[in-house]
Amino acid sequence: MSTATLAEVAETYRHPESLGNFLRDRNPITLLVALVSLAVVAAAVPGLITPFAVCAVFVLLAFAGGVGPAYTATYLKLWAVVGFILFLLRALLLDGEHVYFTFGNLQVTAEGVYEGLRFAAVVMAICGAVTLFFALVTMRRLMLALEMRGVSPRASYVLLASFQSMTDLGATAKVVLDAQKARGIETEGGLITRAKAFFPVLAPVFLSAMTATEERAIALDARAFNSPAAHSHLVQLPRTATWEWLAAGLFAAVATACVMGRFLGWL
Amino acid sequence: MASNGYFARLLRGYGRLTIFMIPIGIAINFVGGQIALLLKLPVYLDSIGTILVGATCGSLPGALVGLLSNAINSITSPQTFAYGILSVIFGLLAGWFGRMGWFRSFWLSLLSAIPFALVGGVLGALITIWVFGGLAGDGTGIVIGTLVALGMDLTTANFAAQMPMDILDKVPTVLIVYAIIRGIPKRLFVKLPLGYVYLGKPAPKLAPATAPATTEQQAGPRS
Amino acid sequence: MALASLRDVRFTYAYSDRPALDGITLEIESGMVHGIVGLNASGKTTLCSLIRGIVPHFHKGELEGSVEILGRDLLEWDPAELSRTIGCVFDNPFTQISGIRETVFEEIALGLENLGTPRAEMIERVERVVEQLGIEALVRKNPNGLSGGQRQKVAFASIIAMDADVIVIDEPTSQLDPDATDAVFGIIADLKAQGKSIVLVEHKIDLLAEYADRLTVLRAGRIVTTGAARDVLTSDELIAAEVPVPEVTELSRRLDAIGRPFVRTPITSAEAAAAVSARIQEASNAH
Repeated sequence: MSTATLAEVAETYRHPESLGNFLRDRNPITLLVALVSLAVVAAAVPGLITPFAVCAVFVLLAFAGGVGPAYTATYLKLWAVVGFILFLLRALLLDGEHVYFTFGNLQVTAEGVYEGLRFAAVVMAICGAVTLFFALVTMRRLMLALEMRGVSPRASYVLLASFQSMTDLGATAKVVLDAQKARGIETEGGLITRAKAFFPVLAPVFLSAMTATEERAIALDARAFNSPAAHSHLVQLPRTATWEWLAAGLFAAVATACVMGRFLGWL
Repeated sequence: MASNGYFARLLRGYGRLTIFMIPIGIAINFVGGQIALLLKLPVYLDSIGTILVGATCGSLPGALVGLLSNAINSITSPQTFAYGILSVIFGLLAGWFGRMGWFRSFWLSLLSAIPFALVGGVLGALITIWVFGGLAGDGTGIVIGTLVALGMDLTTANFAAQMPMDILDKVPTVLIVYAIIRGIPKRLFVKLPLGYVYLGKPAPKLAPATAPATTEQQAGPRS
Repeated sequence: MALASLRDVRFTYAYSDRPALDGITLEIESGMVHGIVGLNASGKTTLCSLIRGIVPHFHKGELEGSVEILGRDLLEWDPAELSRTIGCVFDNPFTQISGIRETVFEEIALGLENLGTPRAEMIERVERVVEQLGIEALVRKNPNGLSGGQRQKVAFASIIAMDADVIVIDEPTSQLDPDATDAVFGIIADLKAQGKSIVLVEHKIDLLAEYADRLTVLRAGRIVTTGAARDVLTSDELIAAEVPVPEVTELSRRLDAIGRPFVRTPITSAEAAAAVSARIQEASNAH
């Protein structure tokens, strides 16, 4: 049974890695161009409709990409934490001529509310593009796509290893923190007590992470990490069709036109 | 951009260990921030890795740690990307202070908290004003809002809220960086671009990785 | 051709006062398992690093004497080429996993990717080495979530997949439990059977007695004795170097001391069993 599994696993690497979803199987680079273009359009076109429409489009795209519910939850949270505060602060603090009502020093004006809505929607459109991109594309696929376009595998290493190091180092730090607690070192209580716990937990953990880089460097060198040969890739992404590049180009062109339009006063 | 593109050349020029230090620096930034949250400390402590890598590997690796940490943070909270330049400057400054030997001394390390906090406080406040019109959607934003509601003008409120926060953050940050650097063994310093500073040696004429790997042993007698 | 040929080698790490290796003259033949033993800080790892070029290319220092690897002066080797020619497995299972691959299959393929091996060949080689090491059950797993023993097997697989003729193995079992240790030595025996040259640092002397052809004993950076494993294990220098002798050899020594020596000093438990049963046979015949 286990050999059958091995053969099956090996077989999967002989074909492009498909995630079984049209949107998520696109080249990460063209997807990035399209999403960034949408965010640029949201920022460039004046008025409230465009940025809100772009935000709505992101949610629709998330559903098309099969990550709808999770993305909507994240995005709504972002709206509540960032977007709402951005709106509220502007609505409360910006001066204007059409005063809705006064509240102590604060004046809620029509201008303030409009600016607040507009600003919140634009910032949220930009945030939406970034969060949607990473909801649809894994870092591994992004780096693979970039490597295929000539980005150094070392750049891939730095990014991918960062994520793994965060996980590993975070786990180690928590183990040490718990061990300190078990040994009776206070990690709760007054601010000074808690601050004092910070140093003995983190300094040794960080130091050993730094010294372990020597072993990592040698171990990766043994895996031909420093080989000058052109690298090959085990995992292949689906082929990027010409239409995909053209579509990305079209998105970028529309975004550029909107920005130019904004500056030249067409919009 | 081939496999020996700019990024690769940059890292090669900075010695073989630097490329492994950058992910560790990024992880240190995150874990520092995480543990500060876990211990409910009122500070971020999320630039320890940036300053540590800057102080030991140089300005560019430090800046890279700052930039990438910020970019990774932006995946989940994209509004933080506006402050990326701060992290870059922390890295650059740390490299510069490191080269000047500040992190060899406790008092100079402590003193370095002032420029870091000035950059963080002043530039941070300016970014909030320029990019977010004085009101970013974070904890400080609410403090600022309150100050404005109490009659302070927006710009002053930004500085008033940001500066103390940054002093409070950077003092423990540089102290932990100092403590870690004191613990780094000689054998590791030998392989770090700014290691010579901490070993009390003169600056190498060439960047360590571009110098022939065998300089030292060629100097030795060979039978 | 000798795998490594060292003459009057002395190496001092940068910023160290004492040489890590001193007066080392040693010939390591190809196609054998060459064991290296000694106490901590006796220079075992430095010797391995030297053969691999990690010393002096990565760990800087002052090297005196001459080191030839596969007939070429160490300093004339391109470090990247040397690391491709001589595979290396280390003691720490945790720092050998790259941290940048999501399945064991991809982890094992990483070295081949770096060498630019075409995909079809890469997949075949990974499949072969996975079967060879019997780690089929791991291929789909995330290497960053494995146990120490599993990681060490994956580390072996990753190096073996790159198909170097020489493999330097530095205390591969120091952090492993007995089962995982046996598995690792099974792999080493397999490699030897394939005609690979192996340099092995290991402190479990009973295992070395079983697998090594030649042994070198180090103490404080100097060679105490070197030669055929049997000769070294039964020599008095081993005890002088404070290296433990195999249990069965120790048994034989004690028998020797009371005037009842074995005909041939056993170094493995199989040999000891044979010697003991011969002795029993002899005794029952005598009655």
